[in-house]
Amino acid sequence: MIEVKGVTKTYGKKQNAFLALDDINFVIPDGASVAIVGKSGSGKSTLMHAMSGLDRPEKGQVVIDGIDILKLKSKAVDRFRSEKIGFIFQSFFVQANESSFDNVSLPLEISNISVKARKKRVLEALQVVGIDDKEKQKARNLSGGQKQRLAIARAIVNRPKIIFADEPTGNLDSTTGATIEKLLFGLNKQSGSTLVIVTHDEDLAAKCDMRIYIKDGKIDKIVSEVE
Amino acid sequence: MKTIDIIRRAGRSLRHAKARTILTSLAIAVGAFTLTIALAAGQGAREYANTLLTSNIDPQILAIAKDKSFFEGGKTGPQEYIPGSSTIARPNGALVKRLSQADIDAIAKRSDIVSITPTYAINAQYITRSGQKKYTVDATTYNSGITQTVIAGSLPALRTSISDTQIALPEVYVSLLGFKTAQDAIGQTVTIHLERTPNITEAQIQQALATNNPQVLTALATKQTKDADYKVIAIVGKSATALSATTSVEISNNSAKELSDFSTIGTDNYHEYTIATASVKPGVDPAMVKQALVNQGYGVQTAKDLQGLLFTIVNTLQGIVIGFGILALITSVFGIINTQYISVLERTREIGLMKALGMRGRHVSRLFQFEAAWIGFLGGVIGSTIAVVAGLSLNPWITSTLSLGDGNVLLIFQPIPIILLIIVLMLVAMLAGYFPARKAAKLDPIEALRTE
Repeated sequence: MIEVKGVTKTYGKKQNAFLALDDINFVIPDGASVAIVGKSGSGKSTLMHAMSGLDRPEKGQVVIDGIDILKLKSKAVDRFRSEKIGFIFQSFFVQANESSFDNVSLPLEISNISVKARKKRVLEALQVVGIDDKEKQKARNLSGGQKQRLAIARAIVNRPKIIFADEPTGNLDSTTGATIEKLLFGLNKQSGSTLVIVTHDEDLAAKCDMRIYIKDGKIDKIVSEVE
Repeated sequence: MKTIDIIRRAGRSLRHAKARTILTSLAIAVGAFTLTIALAAGQGAREYANTLLTSNIDPQILAIAKDKSFFEGGKTGPQEYIPGSSTIARPNGALVKRLSQADIDAIAKRSDIVSITPTYAINAQYITRSGQKKYTVDATTYNSGITQTVIAGSLPALRTSISDTQIALPEVYVSLLGFKTAQDAIGQTVTIHLERTPNITEAQIQQALATNNPQVLTALATKQTKDADYKVIAIVGKSATALSATTSVEISNNSAKELSDFSTIGTDNYHEYTIATASVKPGVDPAMVKQALVNQGYGVQTAKDLQGLLFTIVNTLQGIVIGFGILALITSVFGIINTQYISVLERTREIGLMKALGMRGRHVSRLFQFEAAWIGFLGGVIGSTIAVVAGLSLNPWITSTLSLGDGNVLLIFQPIPIILLIIVLMLVAMLAGYFPARKAAKLDPIEALRTE
């Protein structure tokens, strides 16, 4: 369960202060698929950063499994991210020079998994996303869809509780986008992990269990198909 | 994140930027090359100096002077006059005190001294042999503590002197004195001619005047001469590992004393010696004897002191070369800092991603520092390998050009200093990588991952 309570984030100081997030409150049940929907500049990315422990809003709480991650020390936040969170980005952010294997292996290295276990889990993750034949290929030689699959493999390899996907299909053509969407929702249903998609794409948002609309840093409305 | 994984990732990112990695490490390689050569040359020079000394000088030998100022170049400026003490001026104007016959006798009486030989001043006019021309000559005492290269004939074993009727000639006199070969000279007789202006006492003059015979007076004022004949025992050549240039003829201690006394009798120089060589009894530590003599006010140097002096010179020269190597290293440090800064800029996204995935800033910093260390390692290995290969292939040429003698090499490469050098270079490179690494560690992942 993710509880966001009164999260407020300001950029700038004094007269120039800009309220990016203004008293955001909502609860996401475990295993749900959630879309955070808003136009660019609405504060949806800032909200994702706050929920994943990348950013620290000055007010409010983000309680995940009973722990307020905004109160953790930086070391504990880093560990929280490495163990509980997976990230998928619009522009993939795969390391072009590294092989598919080494790309996916990075989160496991960060959380000190042994070489043997790493090998097994990386191959499993590549298999899940369907690019296990590209294990030794450099990431730069993959197509856009394959790169996003690689990024998904990297996000799920550590078996995170929550996967954040920031415009996961934004850089893909509609056919490839559709397969990636399918893959993401399939993983969400199978593994029981929570999927949080940040998007401005209504069609994609419509496929989620829960939609949180953000406008000018405030919650516009929340549409939920789960209790 | 485990250090081994960080090191692996660091190595991989360097491989991905091969050209940059190699160019940066070449800058370090220049420093590594210079330092490796400096270390090898220093080692080689020290071993060569050691070879020179052990093959030339009896370790039991002491050089003794009246006081320690002799070995410090003498005292300049006015000195207090001490009656009965004798001084001699050096070319630089410095005065050094001389040993008297009493000093020599006192030292000779010591139980731990086998023999003492002062350096006799011999004013020989010329050397010749029957039917040949006359040539100027410098005669010295045969030094039984030094090994010499014998071309013909033979010299007695170490610490044994030649006899009073024998002479060892340098090679140059073979043809001058009309011998066909060096071998022909052995056993032949040569003559050293000495002259002195007479020292006339008042009594002698009065006596001569009393005879009223001009011939007696003339005889009194005539230069006195002495001809000493010696049998050639050996012809001595120049050796690659010889310390002293052998241009002097060598005669026994007694003969030298006799000739010296003849030249100096009645003068200030009679029985006054600037320096003496003493041989310490085998089994007795020369340093102990030195200390005892120093306590009596003498200036003493052992063979080890001479070695120390040579080593000081070698170390100074080596220090200069090392200095240049360090300069090259300092230059390469800026090269590393620059490259690593660029690398951090280029890889902003990658750093942002790693931090977003929960990698600690400390580990990101270490990643870049290890990259720098790899560059240092590569530079060290390239530089020292080139130095070793070049040094080993040039060694024979250097040995023959500087005529160091067979078996002596100038550059001696030892594995441990080279390994230590590479480790030091890695540390220096890591230090240089510190600032760029810190910049990487402090990068804000949100900023780094902004798509626009």
